[in-house]
Amino acid sequence: MNFEGKVVLVTGSGRGIGAAIARAFAAEGASVAINYLKNSEAADEVVTACCTEVGDALAFKADVTVGEAVDDLVSNVLENFGKIDVLVNNAFKPYTFDQENRKMFWELDWSDYQAQIDGALMSAHGVCKAVLPGMRRRSNGAIINVATDLVARPSIPYHEYTTAKSALIGFSRNLAVELGPLGIRVNCVAPGLVYPTEGTVNTKEMIKDTISMQTPLGRIARPEDVAGPVLFLASSWSEFMTGQTLYVDGGLVMN
Amino acid sequence: MIERGGYLPGLSVDEVEWQALYFDGVGSKFEIQVPLLSEDQVRTLTTSVRNAARTKLKAMPVAQIIEIIDCAINRLLDRNDPYRKKCEEILPLVTGYDAEMIRLGLTGYLKTFRKPELQKFLVEDFANPTILDDFQPVPKGGYARAYGPDLLTHIWSGNVPGLPIWSMISGLLVKAGNIGKVPSAEPLFAGWFAEAIAAVAPEISDCFAVVWWKGGNTRLESILLEGSEAVLAYGGNDALKSMRDRTPITTRFLAYGHKVGFGMISKDALDIQKGKLNAHKAAYDVMRYDQHGCYSPHVFFVERGGKVSPREFAEYLAHELDVFESKYPRRSLSDGDLNNIAAWRNEEEIKSFDDPAGGLIGSAGKSWSVAFVDHTERLSPSSLNRTIKVVAVDALAEVVPLIAPYKTTLQTVGISASPDQLFNLSNSLALSGVTRVSALGCMTKPEAGWHHDGRFNLLDLVTLTEIEQSAIDGADTLATFVD
Repeated sequence: MNFEGKVVLVTGSGRGIGAAIARAFAAEGASVAINYLKNSEAADEVVTACCTEVGDALAFKADVTVGEAVDDLVSNVLENFGKIDVLVNNAFKPYTFDQENRKMFWELDWSDYQAQIDGALMSAHGVCKAVLPGMRRRSNGAIINVATDLVARPSIPYHEYTTAKSALIGFSRNLAVELGPLGIRVNCVAPGLVYPTEGTVNTKEMIKDTISMQTPLGRIARPEDVAGPVLFLASSWSEFMTGQTLYVDGGLVMN
Repeated sequence: MIERGGYLPGLSVDEVEWQALYFDGVGSKFEIQVPLLSEDQVRTLTTSVRNAARTKLKAMPVAQIIEIIDCAINRLLDRNDPYRKKCEEILPLVTGYDAEMIRLGLTGYLKTFRKPELQKFLVEDFANPTILDDFQPVPKGGYARAYGPDLLTHIWSGNVPGLPIWSMISGLLVKAGNIGKVPSAEPLFAGWFAEAIAAVAPEISDCFAVVWWKGGNTRLESILLEGSEAVLAYGGNDALKSMRDRTPITTRFLAYGHKVGFGMISKDALDIQKGKLNAHKAAYDVMRYDQHGCYSPHVFFVERGGKVSPREFAEYLAHELDVFESKYPRRSLSDGDLNNIAAWRNEEEIKSFDDPAGGLIGSAGKSWSVAFVDHTERLSPSSLNRTIKVVAVDALAEVVPLIAPYKTTLQTVGISASPDQLFNLSNSLALSGVTRVSALGCMTKPEAGWHHDGRFNLLDLVTLTEIEQSAIDGADTLATFVD
């Protein structure tokens, strides 16, 4: 996979899975736009790491749940890199995966759901719309939305998080149908539990062990594990795939 | 493998000098031997073909000629037939067109020359086709019979494989002796068709010939032109003029020059479903023979106000062309062709600086180019090889003045519009020089019996000999039964 000459925007790539995805694209020669919300230091580290690879990178601060900020983000990326070939919607509202202290359904308000829906779906909707004119002009583009394997197997009912990610998959499938005739592909990657990330840094060993034992490949995912399928879906290796969801969880979910 | 072009009745292989033409085959150069005829050999052929046609073809009922052509066409449609196999194997190597495009294109084309279609062909031009066989009563009184020329010369061009047989079949139907000159770009198919006819009907195997010489050999060409009663010539205007100037004034010269086609899509045809479907059909017309047909589109005029905007139509069209590239790849292009496309793209890009909504769609590395123009712009020829422009208009009626400068070179328009609009537009288009209106997706597939460039395929070739009523009345006075 060679992404030389390609420009990739990864939302929420200042750390965690997003950062791993950004670095993997840079390693294959891409110019990567690192979008982050607050932690500029972490984002700069990702930029530095990317620039030691074949490709290059710049950091762009923006809250992707705010319409104007999204438009500014995309115009800044276009100003710096000239185009966006690949969009990875990875950002989501911060969420702590804490099996022991999660909120039960009757403890959740609609606002909890709304926050996750805004974080996962509204942000993806906004960024997709903003990058679309350029992709349509080139009759080419790949959008990859990061979901979760909990959609297929909610072993732990993180209601608001998983519901929002389920909506993201439905959103992606519809978008795939709409954009296919314009040469643009839309797919999802659905990781299992990924460690370490900010959301899982406090996940108990016992839970990680339990999941590992149920996983055919015998461990939980690392951030780098998610990058491979994302790159695949962004590359011409998958040029005849759209509307799909690739599960990256060592075989825990088989669809 | 060496293939020989041409069909030379009465001349053995050893009597003829041969020249090799090379084509880029798969993995190696592909060689075709073409005949280098002497002036005497061309003269001999013109005499022998003319005499054979006079004695054999002219005595044959047209229904029998149709049977013979039908038989030969059915051989070429049969995928197990050796001639058909040669077409499928060799024509892609020679022309560079995708093998599947040629296979499907040949079938679609050849099937329009089977017996029922040939009968249509005849009645398009002759209310009573037996007028080619015998004197027939005519409405004004008296009798008439149609005679084809003793020798009809064809000067073919090489843009679309198989095209020569259109005029050769026309010549056979009017019982003309036929000599066709094939172009260097595709010197085989006409000869194979001639061989297939000869195999089906050996008795008329010397009534036609297929020759070759290098383009611009006016010496040999003139011998042929001077020996013919009618000439059908295809090519650019300069070449046609040169030929016409060397054709005797008493010889009928029928010229088919380069043509420009375009498409029109009404807002009624631009809801979400029909818009995409029409983009698919439009892309199909662009893809077929990489726009080298006289009927190929160069611009699509798209009406504003539909659910799918002209810009969106252009984007759908671009993707459809991208998809067609996987199914029917564009032929490999010469550096000259590639430079022309680059220049065309460059020009469109520069023009788009003043047209923010317009510009090129897709990147330069693709096998197709789509330019979108968001303001009124006149028709202009594309750079061929899947380069196409989409021009937005407020109303399709606006297109009429935009095509006016091309009146003498217009031919086919592919239209998707309501019945009222279709007929109203067709009248304005006809007055502007358009001679054929088809559906989108059918631009490159004319109906059987199509009047090429608005002319009569068969009627233009014949002369009528009339027996006037006075002669019949006079004869009656001399009849043996006169009381």
